[in-house]
Amino acid sequence: MVLHKFGEKLYSGLVTTMTSHLKEISNSIEAAQGGLFLDELNRKWAEHNKALQMIRDILMYMDRTFIPNTHKTPVHELGLNLWRDVIIHSHAIQSRLQAILLENVRRERSGEVIDRGLMRSITKMLMDLGPSVYQDDFEKHFLEVSADFYRLESQEFIESCDCGEYLKKAERRLNEEIERVSHYLDTRSEVKITNVVETEMIESHMHRLVQMENSGLINMIVDEKYEDLGRMYCLFRRVSNGLVLIRDVMTSYIRDTGKQLLTDPERLKDPVDFVQHLLDLKDKYDKIITSAFRNDKTFQNALNSSFEYFINLNSRSPEFISLFVDDKLRKGLRGVTEEDVELLLDKVMMLFRYLQEKDVFEKYYKQHLAKRLLSGKSVSDDAERSLIVKLKTECGYQFTSKLEGMFTDMKTSQDTMQGFHASHGSDIGDGPMLSVQVLTTGSWPTQPITTCNLPAEILGICEKFRNYYLGTHTGRRLSWQTNMGTADLKATFGKGQKHELNVSTYQMCVLMLFNDADRLSYKEIEQVTEIPTFDLKRCLQSLACVKGKNVLWKEPMSKDIVDTDTFLFNDKYTSKFFKVKIGTVAAQRESEPENQETRQRVEEDRKPQIEAAIVRIMKARRVLDHNNIVAEVTKQLQSRFLPNPVVIKKRIESLIEREFLERDKGDRKLYRYLA
Amino acid sequence: MPPRASKRKSAPPNSSSVTSSDGRSEGIEALCSDLGVDYTDVRILMLAWKLKAEKQGYFTQDEWQTGLKALGVDSLSKLKKALSDLEKEVEKPSNYEDFYTYAFRYCLTEEKQKSVDIESICELLNLVLGVQFRPQIDSLIEYLKVQNDYKVINSDQWINFLRFCKEISFPDLENYDATQAWPLILDNYVEWMREKHS
Repeated sequence: MVLHKFGEKLYSGLVTTMTSHLKEISNSIEAAQGGLFLDELNRKWAEHNKALQMIRDILMYMDRTFIPNTHKTPVHELGLNLWRDVIIHSHAIQSRLQAILLENVRRERSGEVIDRGLMRSITKMLMDLGPSVYQDDFEKHFLEVSADFYRLESQEFIESCDCGEYLKKAERRLNEEIERVSHYLDTRSEVKITNVVETEMIESHMHRLVQMENSGLINMIVDEKYEDLGRMYCLFRRVSNGLVLIRDVMTSYIRDTGKQLLTDPERLKDPVDFVQHLLDLKDKYDKIITSAFRNDKTFQNALNSSFEYFINLNSRSPEFISLFVDDKLRKGLRGVTEEDVELLLDKVMMLFRYLQEKDVFEKYYKQHLAKRLLSGKSVSDDAERSLIVKLKTECGYQFTSKLEGMFTDMKTSQDTMQGFHASHGSDIGDGPMLSVQVLTTGSWPTQPITTCNLPAEILGICEKFRNYYLGTHTGRRLSWQTNMGTADLKATFGKGQKHELNVSTYQMCVLMLFNDADRLSYKEIEQVTEIPTFDLKRCLQSLACVKGKNVLWKEPMSKDIVDTDTFLFNDKYTSKFFKVKIGTVAAQRESEPENQETRQRVEEDRKPQIEAAIVRIMKARRVLDHNNIVAEVTKQLQSRFLPNPVVIKKRIESLIEREFLERDKGDRKLYRYLA
Repeated sequence: MPPRASKRKSAPPNSSSVTSSDGRSEGIEALCSDLGVDYTDVRILMLAWKLKAEKQGYFTQDEWQTGLKALGVDSLSKLKKALSDLEKEVEKPSNYEDFYTYAFRYCLTEEKQKSVDIESICELLNLVLGVQFRPQIDSLIEYLKVQNDYKVINSDQWINFLRFCKEISFPDLENYDATQAWPLILDNYVEWMREKHS
């Protein structure tokens, strides 16, 4: 027919015929009752498709020639459009179709089983008719109805469930919807429906869930509910600001509990315990972040900044961390494997990194290390060195050069002693054995030189050593640090019981006096030994007033030492141990006045550092305004401490007075470097 | 030259009357009484400035003669008149800062001295800035006397006192910014003021 120019007639004939045919079909579909409606629709659709194929084949010639020329809709497409217009969009069918589809979904959501295959075919049909048909006739309404559904359901759940249960339910619904899409909806609907669930079930109730009493985020953290936390993380990740909310609530909780810990005087009584507690806390949160929060970097950062915040709330934190390390290196690490030692030291380093006042830590660490080295109390030389290396990596060689110097001195002293014994071995004979550590001033914490008269018995060998040393090292000065030494004394008591007493140098001086006298007054002791009063009293107290260690007897028996006391050799002394240690104790947390003093020294040390930074900066920049100087100085010094802006200003003024800097004459906001 | 009754006077005013080595300050005092001006009057300070006197309390022969020439003065009466002109000259903005700085240096009596004690500073402030900036100076002097941080004032701090009076609105101190390059003593002063008025 086309060839004979009857294309138009053929085409319009097709349209008319198909339309009326479809109208009949429409009626039959409409007539279908209840559940059979979809079925009927589906069957007729399948038939129609088959028919369309055949028609297309038959009219192929027209399809290829007449239709393109006249810009008419191709046959197949025409068939679909007619189906759409006559059937799907027919008044009766359109709304009924929509209603039944949505009802099926609702039924399935309540737990009923529906014919998924049929649903699949229908939605596929809608897609075939055109995406806008699928969207307008079905999807749009599907999403709306789902939103209502979940809004209601979530409201119900939130009233009746605790946080963990709710999250489980939300997760279940979410997975359900995803599965639904894969079975009988278009894949592009997935993100849209999941959005609906996320909004209604999660986003709307985010805050309430997190803050829920007894089951919210904080409770989960405290009770270490990793699974629940993980679920919350995954769900909240799907909504904007979900993770931000979790992170913020967690951060403020950590900060608050940290702050409490740092300001609780009970907690602060035992520094070692305190630091252990900090480490445990860090471990706990690390575990939460790794197991439940997928090692999320933003959470790691929030944790770090929280710790940094509260650790520095207490100015004693640096001292306490050093005491913790001291305890571990003295005895805590005995019997621990090398790996575990490294692990612990790494954890300590992590706390160290949080400290703002690293220079204060350095001061204490030096003091404590000195005590450890000199008393030979370190558990593991390797562990000590390992920590120094870590500090060096973190802070640069300047930080550790003095510490390393201390180790060097110890080693050198060993060599010196070997040399001394080799050359003087024969001289010593039965006399007292001397072991000397020669310390380089400057590497070791500064000590005041105190007076103390050494007993005659050891003066000889001390002089021998001094001569030996100065003989091989000209130009040096040696001074005995009598406040830092120790001695082992062999003592015989009343009934012949022998003990070896390990004592401090001061204690040795006092005890040796009793070789020549059985009783001595305080004044006499003071006169002969010339030990400073405060130290002498402490020394006598440790010899006479401590149970189990009272090798001296005091008259009167009071607790405190006064000028009028008399001391006697306690020949009734007994101890079940052969070796008795009466020496000075391990490093302890400083008393308040000691702490003040250390702090003052730290402040004094900081002044030249600040000035050096200012001069360095001004030398480079020549001219700079005040705010920028403060910022640059802070940046330069932040690896050691946080400089106080007022102190910086004072240093600048001092430098102006000493004519290193001047105020710019033109712009009064600027400072100028004076070459 | 109008004749003078006083025994010390001769015309032109003789420098020796004020530079006798054993009576330096007496010389100045005598000069002051002749001029009818108090020894502590700011105009004497101004004169010292004009004469570029190096040391407080007296004028050298050179300073005296050069200075008088510069003033165009060859008699006491002319000197008296010159004094009042001098006030105007000093108040010129171009001279004022110079005079102000000079006033501080004038108080440095010892060799290598760089600072002046608080007491003297207060007097000097009153003398030099008191008239022009009465409220600020009264308040500042009160503060200087009660504070404990500084026992002396150096030239850097001195010069900033003038800046402060000129630039900062008083008594609200609104436009004072402690993060700027003001000396610490003024930061502390402002804080003290703000606390007083809160």
